[in-house]
Amino acid sequence: MREYDIVVIGGGLAGLMAAAAATKRGKKVTLLSLGSGTLTIGGGIVDVMGYLEGGIPAATPSAGLLQVGDGHPYKKIGRPAIEESIRFFKEICEQEGYSYIGNLDKTQWIPTAAGTLKPTCLVPKTMDTTELKKADKVTVLGFDALKDFYPSLIAKNFKKIPAFAQKEYEVVMVDPKLSEGRDVTALDVARWLDTEEGLASCIEKMRNVIDSGSVVIIPPVLGTRPDYAVKEKLEKALGCHFVETASVPPSITGLRLRTMLVRYLKKNGVRIVEQAIVAKSIVEDGKCVAVITEGVDRERTYHAKSFILANGGFYGGGLLAEPGKVIEPIFNLPVEAPTDHELWANYSLFSSEAQPFAKLGLDVDEKMRPLDADGKVLLNNVFVAGRNLRGYDFSFEKSGNGVAIASGYQAAMSV
Amino acid sequence: MQKTTVVVIGGGATGVGILRDLCMRGVDAILLEQQDLAYGTSSRYHGLLHSGGRYAVKDAEAGKECIEENTILRKIGRHCVEQTEGFFARTHLDDEAFEGKWVEACAKVGIPTIPISVEEALRLEPNLSPKIKSVYRVPDAAIDGFRMVWQNVASARKYGGRVLTYTTVIGIEQSNNQVVGIKVRNTLTGEVSDIACDFIVSAAGSWAGEIAALAGINVNVQPDRGTLIAFNHRITSRIVNRLRPASDGDIFVPHGSITILGTTSASVNKPDDTVPNAKEVVELLNIGEALFEDIRSYRMLRAFAGTRPLYSADPNATGRGASRGFVTLDHAHDGLKGFVSVVGGKFTTYRLMAEKVTDLVCGYLNVKTPCRTAVENLVEDTSPALMAKARLYFPAYGAELAASRLGSEGLEKVIARIQEKPEKRQLLCECENVTMAEVEEAAADSTSYMISDVRRKTRMGMGTCQGAFCTFRSVGAVDANGLSWGKDTNVLFKEFLQGRWKGIRPILWGNVMREMELTRGIYEGTLNINGAIDNEGI
Amino acid sequence: MKKHHNNPDSCTACTVCIANCPVTAATRKFRGPKMVGPTLERMRLSQDDIEPSLEYCSNCKNCDMSCPSGVPISTLNMLARAKYFKNRKRSLRDWILSHGEKMAKLSAATPGMANFGMKMSRGILKKIGISDKAPLPAYASKSFIKLFKNLKQTSYPDKVVFYPGCFINYNDPQVGMDFVAVMQANKLEVIVEEGFVCCGSPLVVNGFLDEAEENAKQNVQILKKWTDKGYPVITCCTSCGLMLKQEYQELFHIEGVAEYAKQLYDADEFLLDLHDQGRLNTNFGTLNEKYMYHAPCHLRAQGMGLPGVELLALIPGLDVQDADAGCCGISGNYGFKDDKYDISMEIGSGLFKAIKDSGRDTVVSECGTCRLQIGHGANVKTLHPLTLVRKSYEAYHK
Repeated sequence: MREYDIVVIGGGLAGLMAAAAATKRGKKVTLLSLGSGTLTIGGGIVDVMGYLEGGIPAATPSAGLLQVGDGHPYKKIGRPAIEESIRFFKEICEQEGYSYIGNLDKTQWIPTAAGTLKPTCLVPKTMDTTELKKADKVTVLGFDALKDFYPSLIAKNFKKIPAFAQKEYEVVMVDPKLSEGRDVTALDVARWLDTEEGLASCIEKMRNVIDSGSVVIIPPVLGTRPDYAVKEKLEKALGCHFVETASVPPSITGLRLRTMLVRYLKKNGVRIVEQAIVAKSIVEDGKCVAVITEGVDRERTYHAKSFILANGGFYGGGLLAEPGKVIEPIFNLPVEAPTDHELWANYSLFSSEAQPFAKLGLDVDEKMRPLDADGKVLLNNVFVAGRNLRGYDFSFEKSGNGVAIASGYQAAMSV
Repeated sequence: MQKTTVVVIGGGATGVGILRDLCMRGVDAILLEQQDLAYGTSSRYHGLLHSGGRYAVKDAEAGKECIEENTILRKIGRHCVEQTEGFFARTHLDDEAFEGKWVEACAKVGIPTIPISVEEALRLEPNLSPKIKSVYRVPDAAIDGFRMVWQNVASARKYGGRVLTYTTVIGIEQSNNQVVGIKVRNTLTGEVSDIACDFIVSAAGSWAGEIAALAGINVNVQPDRGTLIAFNHRITSRIVNRLRPASDGDIFVPHGSITILGTTSASVNKPDDTVPNAKEVVELLNIGEALFEDIRSYRMLRAFAGTRPLYSADPNATGRGASRGFVTLDHAHDGLKGFVSVVGGKFTTYRLMAEKVTDLVCGYLNVKTPCRTAVENLVEDTSPALMAKARLYFPAYGAELAASRLGSEGLEKVIARIQEKPEKRQLLCECENVTMAEVEEAAADSTSYMISDVRRKTRMGMGTCQGAFCTFRSVGAVDANGLSWGKDTNVLFKEFLQGRWKGIRPILWGNVMREMELTRGIYEGTLNINGAIDNEGI
Repeated sequence: MKKHHNNPDSCTACTVCIANCPVTAATRKFRGPKMVGPTLERMRLSQDDIEPSLEYCSNCKNCDMSCPSGVPISTLNMLARAKYFKNRKRSLRDWILSHGEKMAKLSAATPGMANFGMKMSRGILKKIGISDKAPLPAYASKSFIKLFKNLKQTSYPDKVVFYPGCFINYNDPQVGMDFVAVMQANKLEVIVEEGFVCCGSPLVVNGFLDEAEENAKQNVQILKKWTDKGYPVITCCTSCGLMLKQEYQELFHIEGVAEYAKQLYDADEFLLDLHDQGRLNTNFGTLNEKYMYHAPCHLRAQGMGLPGVELLALIPGLDVQDADAGCCGISGNYGFKDDKYDISMEIGSGLFKAIKDSGRDTVVSECGTCRLQIGHGANVKTLHPLTLVRKSYEAYHK
């Protein structure tokens, strides 16, 4: 019988981090994934804690961590483990040649494609705003036909942000000559820059519209690979500083991060099973013995000593929402939710309050083991990580990838 | 001060129908709408162009009007009518005795009903429940409420008709018991102005009581809320009615890429009580299951509600008990000349209502020109040459859709935009196949003030993702063209997404919940349009 | 998540499939899986039109694998293609590429001549749209069925049924023979049923859905007959395996597929299962050799991980490194088409580079056309994993 130390269910950031931390501890890991996670949708920026209840910005990510309520995953994980997890994440990035900048003691306000700033904690170097903050004059560079980026909107909105209002903005366009064929997304431009010819041609075009020494805000297009080759070559050739914005899917920064983490896991001997629809589990005496995938052909059983449940929330399928109830489909773990569906959501989509439905999820102890309504551990060798956790609204707080990293790491360390 | 002969209140089907009819008979008229055109009940119903089968048993007169108007609208409004035909299907839960009564009643008023075998029905509509007992084909059709209203306006404009949207009526000016003008406020700017006129026609639907009250006249309109569900795909290619006495949740209507299930019926106090709730949705699904077994596995897009303007001289009549016939109230009988309210009725007979009202008004104005709204098409057909040209510029499945939305003139304008900048052929709304050029064209129209107005004209944001992707793009494109109506882009984002949210909130489970995680992830998580630092509020 | 639900409802338009589609990465002519698949599916239900770029979908299934919503995107594309071709003429090129089995039977009498003829006629093939650069497979001098008939097996009480598929039968029969040898080494007798026909995969990708369904009906009947008796059915070709167990269920309404699929195995996985049960012959001889491994997309899509890699890891001394560089680009006969050849090579370029960089001269992969493409693009030798397993068993006895 092939038995692994740990089966990780879910290939999003929480699952990838859990697997990474587990292999670092010398564990033999199988990762069961369905789809390629949400990194390529949500992005590779690591938010930790941006806004507190009431919509008040946290002074720093670490200050925000201390101010969360009791039900919040951060409260369960605890600050030391969160710090370790962030350190571990940065270590992997460094080691794989795609290092991230930032730390828990400083909020980084990064530009977005909507011309707002958003608070975050760790970003790839392509989003370093050091030079942007210092600059008196900023160039916003768009690409002709790219339908997901509107540079004049950004320039106009930055003028309304107090910290950015004094700067002068210039909008310039570069034509990547991609208007033939399908509609143009940031991915098309990034792939153009991946090629040597594309990069050379882009440099020539940029030379005509930007001056040496400029700080240039651009869409996230600096290559699809997890390295800084495109950024460095462009900056060297033009003598400029480029700052990518946070933007709409498909997320190039998320694609890079995912590619890098999957590569890291494979190098470290993690067995990855794609298209694995985990449907049920075998539990004996408060312990999970195996999980079972439902293939189109037949069921397959995966035995392990421990299991990490990181298959996402409502989006990823880790939680299923029905009128007035929430189901966790693999272990049938309890999820407390209002039976009156009207209580699930605020009338305003955007307000100074988090959305109640976004906080629905699994309750866990400090080791990330699932709890019943009385706070009793339900399964001793199952550890929960990521979006299926109760008590946080990642969109409102700006905490998504932070919770994924911290809870994934904590789950693996608790095994 | 603006002057006109007749002011028509209400930018729904009846109002625009009256505007068109008046203008075609050479009467100068202005139409006032408190929100956007078709904002009210005309777009908040199932979009069924009744064959009359639904009314035949209970109200033969209404059934007869339906089949006659149905025949007319299929011709004059063919660009907003989808000739789907319809089924009346009796399920295992329905009374068999009603079937015979229904067939007989339909025959009496001239509604053709063709019985087909259940087997044949299932072959034509494979998603139908195999448990159904009997099926009849009827000449139902689907009609696009937004488009019907727009095309009436387009036609009226050709005859000199004027339209003011986001204009609410705050007073009716009278002198010697005769209407002399109307006082209005622009709801966007707050600006108040007067329009001098000889005649006022209130076609305000559920709001007709409120309008009449401005002149101190009592009109008993009881708003009756009907909630509906829009599904993500065409689960049936024909209309499917449940063969039983008219009740909740017994009509499925395919519209282009989607299907609508309606409706519920509940008396409400206010005409704008159009916020649906989860309970109504669950009830509709429970009922709908009898016709479509897998209904719960079909993804919903949104729930929406409108208020039927039920009128009764008897103040105690409510709901389906009240008549669906229409009534023209000449308020000369209440002591005010030059003021008419038209109440009750249904979308299918809007043109007939308009004709009757216009006849009355023209009688007063001594205009003898006969009505021609039944014979003249709303918009001209798009020529084959123009269609061929459109296919060069629109993506697959896009040219026909655009042509039916835009009509010939609009189509030419959109093509011109693409010719000028070829990248404008790109889709801002991928779900509903709406190009950047069309969004810009709609945004530039004088009746557009926000992205939701563009949506009603184009269908952008009305498909699968409900604005998750096209909100960003359309705000960006509108802003880049200097068309953002002087508004902050964050306000535009929020206005549009909040409008989508209204219909999503009551169905927040399954794939809708998943989509919402994505939408919030983009706008709140990534783009931080809700951030305190730039919080503009709406 | 409900399976075989071929409607567009689960798609959230998230764009992950676009980021993971190898064809989208290689050409801007393709509008991408989301657009051509679930998005336009909603339109197809109300309009009769065609998205011209649909022809670029290679049915490699990377979209399905990356989809977080379980949408059978590639199947929606194949169904749309079939719908389009229902009343339209197909090209001679597509007919030839879809009917490899018929072509093979035609040339079966004189295989040497057929290969000679093919070499001579590459110019003619080019004229009808088959690339003159593509790595078209040669016919074997003797088909697997013929070789198998002449083979004397040891009889055992435990038997398995082998579904060879066209490629092994007509082009690469040695893989089939290696399979039989490995089964025999595990005290299993192999049954080959001559009634099996082409699984239909090449027909489906070219829009011959009705013919594919005819083939499916015949295969289903035979497969069910054997599995009902309790015999497992094994394939060595991952595309055949995927077709027989998954695509039959998604594309057609044929009774019985779900039942036999429970006992339909990929050879590598079958052996690993034997290992789990302690029944695998582990008398593996040492092979001090180094190989690269390429995971076929149609294997990855089956939700069983990479059984070949795990199986080969049991062989002492053997060093197999997973290239992990994505799709090879061939997608059955996609890369044979003149207008797709360059796209196919562009898709495979990352894999070819990874192989060349590794310095290893032989690549192991389960899929026959992947092996063709890799041999062509990376200029290396190629093997099926079972060939190494057989070699290892033989080494043990030396």
